[in-house]
Amino acid sequence: MADRRVRYYVLFVNYEQGMALHELLTAHGIENRIAPAPRAIQGKLSCGMSVLLEPEWLERAKACIGEHHAEYYDIVPLADQLRAHRDRYC
Amino acid sequence: MSDYVKMWKDLGMDLESHDLLCQVLPTAVGDVFLTQENRPKAMDFWDLVISEVHGIRPAELIEEQKKGRKVFGTFCVYVPDEVVLAAGGIVTGLCGGSQFWVPGGEAVLPKSTCPLIKASVGARLGRTCPFFRIADMYVGETTCDGKKKAYEILGEDVPMYIMDVPQMKREKDILKWKDEIAAFAEKVEEFTGNKITPEKLNEAIHIANEKRKALQRVYDCRKSKCLPISGRDVLLMMQISFFDDPVRCAKMCNRLADELEQRIRDGVSVVSAGTKRILVTGTPLAVPNWKLHNIIETSGAAVVCEEMCTGTRYFENLVDESGTTLDEQFMALSRRYMKTNCACFTPNTGRIDDLLRMAKEYQVDGVIDCSLKFCCLYDTEKYSVSRALKEAGIPVLSLETDYTDADTEQLRTRIGAFVEMLHG
Repeated sequence: MADRRVRYYVLFVNYEQGMALHELLTAHGIENRIAPAPRAIQGKLSCGMSVLLEPEWLERAKACIGEHHAEYYDIVPLADQLRAHRDRYC
Repeated sequence: MSDYVKMWKDLGMDLESHDLLCQVLPTAVGDVFLTQENRPKAMDFWDLVISEVHGIRPAELIEEQKKGRKVFGTFCVYVPDEVVLAAGGIVTGLCGGSQFWVPGGEAVLPKSTCPLIKASVGARLGRTCPFFRIADMYVGETTCDGKKKAYEILGEDVPMYIMDVPQMKREKDILKWKDEIAAFAEKVEEFTGNKITPEKLNEAIHIANEKRKALQRVYDCRKSKCLPISGRDVLLMMQISFFDDPVRCAKMCNRLADELEQRIRDGVSVVSAGTKRILVTGTPLAVPNWKLHNIIETSGAAVVCEEMCTGTRYFENLVDESGTTLDEQFMALSRRYMKTNCACFTPNTGRIDDLLRMAKEYQVDGVIDCSLKFCCLYDTEKYSVSRALKEAGIPVLSLETDYTDADTEQLRTRIGAFVEMLHG
């Protein structure tokens, strides 16, 4: 079953920024996960980590980022990324 | 997202082809790992590593090379990491687990070679894996004919040293393997310019043992009826353990085990009660080969143990740390490594003993014995494995697959039927 849900990927210039935000959000009880940035949204940056947010956590995450001046590159919405039965391996 | 392009360029990688690999990996990681609910928080370390799999660790290795350290790439759990560590070297696993690399391997190898070998050769010759570019020396071994011939081809492109693994397990074979370890130590000393002393080797043995104990702790948690972690997550941990710094690996695995033990105390399971517990055995599942585990765990079952090189064979049995001379230590290493039950040995009844023991320890409902296509050794052992398990009343499903997605529907059908049968 396809999961068409829109999720939000926070992108970073380097993984140190990403881990800092992951730890910051986690410390504030904001659910987030580390995920490889989908190639479609990597733009000029090479492949690497992102922080994945479910939509219900987006506003709290943005507020936390603003309050702590946390560094990030962009926040990009993307649908239909996670499908357990897609069976496309690498 | 860190910018690793300069590093990859400096390594002589084919950036255009590598970019194609960068496109498929995030999709697979998302589908296999991020669709899971209630994963242990400590998995964030491995999520980071796999997200930056061609970035963080390769950059670390290059920094160490700048300090004069040598990187040894290996393909088998029979190669003793301890010897390399004792000489100040670094070990990195090199087995290829992606279909992406297979066509590159088929350019120089017969198609009827197992996908792991084809992918490994393709990753080197196609210049699309930084680990294959970074390693100063490859260390091969004689665990199958396909590898032996592939090493001859790889040896034309990179310094290669081959360890001659015995084919039987008599006392004279254990002595022979001890001599092979001693000869390897001489080669490592020559290549690194560092002397291996009993003190250094003892320290290296201790480091490797601590890593084994940490991996075993995680596996021990899977023996609980309250299953605190999925098979997919443990597989990722195992795959990365071949690449990571051994001290950090032990630390992160112990951190994960702390959380899993707490989960068991709190009754937190990643599956619902009654989910069928599967032991997977057979050929190794090199990163990023997650197909089998993902299909099993999205078919109503859970993988609770892997009796394979990317599983228990990597960490079971410790090396005796009491040796005080190199001779005693090489013997202790030989005795430990020769307990690994690989299908290249004849007879290999120890593997069946292990399977019967683990089926009890991990409270398994059924075994899936899966080999990679064209792996004659493991394919042949299916006969005796299946017979022994059936005699013990343990249901078994024998499968063969490769790295392509072409057989996923067929695998889903067969595994789904097997799980349904386990439910009776």
